[in-house]
Amino acid sequence: MSAASDQQIVAWAKQGHDAAFRELVRRYERPVFSLLYRMVRDRALAEDLAQETFIKVLNGIKSYRPEFKFSSWIFKIANNAAIDHLRRKSIDTLSLDGSPSAETPEQQRATSLQLGDRAESPLAEVESRELGTAIERAIARLRPEYRSCILLRHVEGYSYEEIAETLDLPLGTVKTYIHRARNELRGYLEDRRD
Amino acid sequence: MTETTMHLTTDEIELWAQGLLPAARAMHLADCSLCRVEADRERKVILELVQLPHFAPKAGFADRVMAQVKIPTPSGDWTA
Repeated sequence: MSAASDQQIVAWAKQGHDAAFRELVRRYERPVFSLLYRMVRDRALAEDLAQETFIKVLNGIKSYRPEFKFSSWIFKIANNAAIDHLRRKSIDTLSLDGSPSAETPEQQRATSLQLGDRAESPLAEVESRELGTAIERAIARLRPEYRSCILLRHVEGYSYEEIAETLDLPLGTVKTYIHRARNELRGYLEDRRD
Repeated sequence: MTETTMHLTTDEIELWAQGLLPAARAMHLADCSLCRVEADRERKVILELVQLPHFAPKAGFADRVMAQVKIPTPSGDWTA
């Protein structure tokens, strides 16, 4: 089954074969979880959102339209889950350096996310190890819309057109977001090196 | 302005970082220090991004998902 295309696996899943559902989870659990984890920067929450995404996708498999890529469909649902969560929580950017709207150093400190805040728990140590590198911290400073575009482009290897389809954005907007995101990342990384 | 004198666009720099820049534009890059500096900076970021790992959820993730999936009654032979 591992050599079959996504479309074929989905067709088997629609026929009710348990193994086909499990194969879809096996193929996408890491990419979907990784996207969500980098979006929300919280392992337990990312896992809840990933679970929610798979349950929604697999329970709605009959409504999947094969003219679209299965991966685009699942990433669309995962990304929507992350963006909805971030909006609900009113977190514009999960900046480690504090809110972008903070005007004083005190406000910045008060709004900063410290990975070490939960350093006593083993989970926080894992998060700190996994998301503590310079590039991960720089990604965390991007606007969520930029973050999903840049992750789909360079971590998942999607084309601009596929990202536009996945995120329901005009192609020009996707290009702009990706170029701006890379520019910002360059700035953050070069600031650190200086 | 010709293909060998125009500065590279952001899209072209990305193509270059992937080894896909057409030869005429690569010639410009070889001669233009401005574009080379810009392209090198861009490539560094792209390289860092493409090397990012995938993370795995906790063990048993598939079982936790499958416990909440309603599988339709099987039909057809998927091994065929």
